[in-house]
Parts: sequence; C-alpha cells; structure tokens
Amino acid sequence: MEPVERQKRILDETDAAAWVESGMTIAVGSPPPMALLRQLIRRGVSDLTVIDSGLSLDLLIAAGCVRKVVSYYAGGGFGVAVAPSFRRAVEQGEIEVWECEEGILATGLQAAAQALPFLPWRGGVGTSLPEVNPDLKIMADPISGETLIAVPPVKPDVTLLHAATADPYGNVQHLGGPGWLDLFLHRAADRTIVQVERVIANEDTRANPWATTIPSVDAVVRAPYGAHPYYSRGFYVQDQDHLQAYVKAASAAARDNRPDDLARYLAAYCREPATHADYLERVGIKRLLSLYEY
Amino acid sequence: MSQDYTPQELMAVFIARDLRDGDVLRVGVAMPVVEAAVRLAHVMHGPNMELIFLGTRMNVAHLHSLPMPAFGWDRRVVRWAESYSDTGHRFDRVKDWDKHVFFIGGVQVDRFGNSNLIGVGPDYRHLRFRGPGPVGTATLTTHVGRYYIVLNSHTPRTLVERCDYVSAFGWGTGGADARRRLGLPGGGPRYCVTPLCVMDFAEDDKHMRLHALHPGVSQDDVQGQTGFDLTTPEPVATTLQPTPEELHVLRTRVDLAGLLRRSTREG
Repeated sequence: MEPVERQKRILDETDAAAWVESGMTIAVGSPPPMALLRQLIRRGVSDLTVIDSGLSLDLLIAAGCVRKVVSYYAGGGFGVAVAPSFRRAVEQGEIEVWECEEGILATGLQAAAQALPFLPWRGGVGTSLPEVNPDLKIMADPISGETLIAVPPVKPDVTLLHAATADPYGNVQHLGGPGWLDLFLHRAADRTIVQVERVIANEDTRANPWATTIPSVDAVVRAPYGAHPYYSRGFYVQDQDHLQAYVKAASAAARDNRPDDLARYLAAYCREPATHADYLERVGIKRLLSLYEY
Repeated sequence: MSQDYTPQELMAVFIARDLRDGDVLRVGVAMPVVEAAVRLAHVMHGPNMELIFLGTRMNVAHLHSLPMPAFGWDRRVVRWAESYSDTGHRFDRVKDWDKHVFFIGGVQVDRFGNSNLIGVGPDYRHLRFRGPGPVGTATLTTHVGRYYIVLNSHTPRTLVERCDYVSAFGWGTGGADARRRLGLPGGGPRYCVTPLCVMDFAEDDKHMRLHALHPGVSQDDVQGQTGFDLTTPEPVATTLQPTPEELHVLRTRVDLAGLLRRSTREG
C-alpha cells in the first residue's frame, strides 16, 4: 500500500494569490498581507469586493482592482483625513461602498461564520446606515420588541492575513495576538491564506498549542518582511517614509490630477517585481534593516 | 488679546478637568486634542483611569511622561499596554460601557449632536465630499455612558442645521427622551468642544447650547461661525484658563512634540 502523508499547505505567494479571481470577495487582515496584495495588483485582478480599511484598501483601489468596498474606515493618515484614491473613486462613482460600521461589520462576519441569515446589532439604530445600505434592515426584536439592525452575513471568498509564524499544516501563531478583525475575517471566509514571517516546525506548534491563534488555515505563504511598508509585531516597525511617499503620490493623482508619481509607485513596487523577494530587493536591504526593531 | 496658550491647549485642559478618576477612556485616531486631554487627566488626577487607544489598553500613570503615540498598533504603542484586543473583545461587554467615555469628531455635527463621518452632498451615490466612514462610532456612541464631540475647527460647514447623513446618533431630532425612545442605552453627548467655545445640550429639547466662550471669543463670533441658531443662556460663562501647572504638565509630560502649540483657532 502507498504510504499516505499529511499534506503540507505551503504555497509561494504567486500560487496562493492565484486563488483570488476577478469578481471575488476578499478580506484583508491587519497588518495587511502586502506581499499577497501586491501579487493581486501585479496579476491585474479586477472587480473585487474588498473588506478592508486604510491605505492597503487605497492601494488596491488605485491599482484598479476594486469594484466594491466593504469598509468602516478609509482614513488616510499623514495629513489626509480620507484615503485619497478611495475618496476620488467614490466621489466619481467608480466604486460602490457597502456602508457599515465596525460593530456592524463584525456582526455580519459572525453571521457568516455561524451560517445564520442575520445577526442583530444595536449600534447604528437611529443613524442613516440602513438608508444608505439597504442590506441593513431595521427589525423589531421578537422577544422584547426592541428596535435593532439585522445584519446579513458578510462572507469573503478568500481571507488574506499576515502573522508571525505558521507550521506547514496551517497552524498560525500571531505574536502578541491576532490583528484587529483577523479572527472574524478567517471564521467567515471560505478559505484563508496566511503569509508569515517565518515557517516553524510542526513540533514547535505542538510544543505550545496554546499559542496557536488560528488552526488549520488553507494556505501558508513564506513572506519575511511581507507586511512592509506596514509593521509586523516582533519583527519590524512601520516604514513611515514609504507610506508617506505613497500618500503623497496617491493624493497628487486623486486631488491634483497628476497621476505620474502614483503610476511610477505602482510600477516600481507592485507590477515590476515578479516575486516578494524582488520587491524586497527593490526596497533595499538598508531600508529594511533600519526597520528591524521591537 | 495676549495669551500664552493655544485654543487647542485650552480645549485639552477643559476636557481633562471634566474626566473623572476611574473613567475608561476610549480614544480613536486623528484627535490630538483628545490624546493630550486623556493623558493630562491621567497624570494630573486620574491614576485609576484606563486609556484605550484603538485596541491597546493602558494605565501609565507611573510614567513621568506619556508621549503621544504616532500610530495605533505596532510595538511602539503596544509596549505601554496592559492588554491588547481585537474587535471581538473591543465590542464585547458593551453591557458595561456605561462606565466608558468616548470622543468623536465629525465631517458635520448638527444642532442635536448627531455626527456625520460618511460624506457631504444630497445624493449618496454622488457625494460632493466622501468622508472616511463611521469607524466604530455608531456602536460606541450607542453604548458609552457619555461622550465628547471634539472638533478641530468651528465653521458653519462643520456645525450644521442637519447632518446630510448621520453615522452616530446624538439626540436625533431632539427631545430629552430621543435616545430612550430608540432604546439606546448610552448617555449621549455631554459637551461639544471647539476652538471657539464649549457647548452642551439643553435639558428639555437637547438643542446644542452655548456653555462657555473661550477667553477673547464673543458670542457673535461663535454664532457667526455656527450653521444653526445656538441656544444661549444669559450670562454666558467663560472657559476657565489653564493654570500654570496644567500648562506645565501638558507641555513637559504630555505634548512633548508641541502638537497643540502649533495649532491655531482655524485648526
């Protein structure tokens, strides 16, 4: 009889990112799994529905990958109140927004995870959210008659996360706890890909199973510095200069109709580097090492 | 008028004085006045306060200086924390949020303290200005015991008769029972603090009402910069100036980078 072996789940970033096809719904954890997102941009994936917030969302919009946004917050930082490409694309009617709020989004993800048609939430009662997002329904609670919002399932086809380590069988250990909505995004999704700073041995997982934050994800991608220009707890801090340069380029494109710098950024950092290693070479070892603290 | 503090420093001191020891203070992004205020209160009179910046919860009253963090999640902030939580923890135990205090801004704020972070323009599909989105404000303002509306600028564009879209419910269309009617358990907005004045909400109808003018600001200045008729009691109080000690602590233990000192009345 053929010996049957447990299947490893390690993929490289290009094969893993190929799970995402145009038109799908993806969810992006925090810190954003930038190595994977850059591969989506490089491949020219389009018409995505993206559950994300902040500048990683803005980058996907700037690169033309997005048709619809599920976001409670698209702030810019670095002196801009609203993420520039997001703002322009919404104002121009180029993308659609599934308007929500942090508690409402978490509720929708929970409904998806628990295979429920909806879950109720109170935050948002009395606001315009059910008017601007008709998927949110005002309901009378059948037990006590209180007014609540029924939130339908929010279900990613693929959730993309970044974490500290995982073993070859998809057991993920975040350093210092999972990021923001990571667990919600994973539980709600059909499939989850996690890129990690370091692949560890299965023995290491079994030595401390309490540290496993997400068991058995569908794919593990080896991606040291994979969250750059964002931080990765325990490995490196955020590259403020790089993010600042992106915001400047995206603002020039969105506000002043000067798209050249943004086009150069997208070419240099997202489209030309074929692999994550090529991207890191382009950023440069000196810059990367300067972030290597905490 | 000669003064040796900025409106933003005055705002921070006003808010800090109003915070009570033991409060759990929930601070979001991009609000330097609030970031300074909670730290000032923490070192001046709030050793039992808990400061929650995004997901990081800290009590750092033992530190000599509490530098303002630049960003939310990486080690440079988390190292101060006693705990760090994802949204699941953040929005659990809302039943206990009557002890929590929140701070909110807004693209627009209306006369009943509703706040809009969605955008500006009559047609939602074609907004003139797209805002950043509601963040967690709808849930937080629903449940917290009290919250403060803190604005970086006081203009008729910001303080409007009626928000184009409401992303956080203050007092709706008015009335002391506006929140109870909807079953919203939280206490609602307590003050609206701007670079010109402090406003509160009249007990009976919950209209925004002038509470105190900052030194050197007239009632006409405020009304001229407000997009609705402000309820005004007679006489109007003046915001108490910062004491030398408060300013000293603010500048040497909190706002070391001088973020609030660079600010002006225009924000």
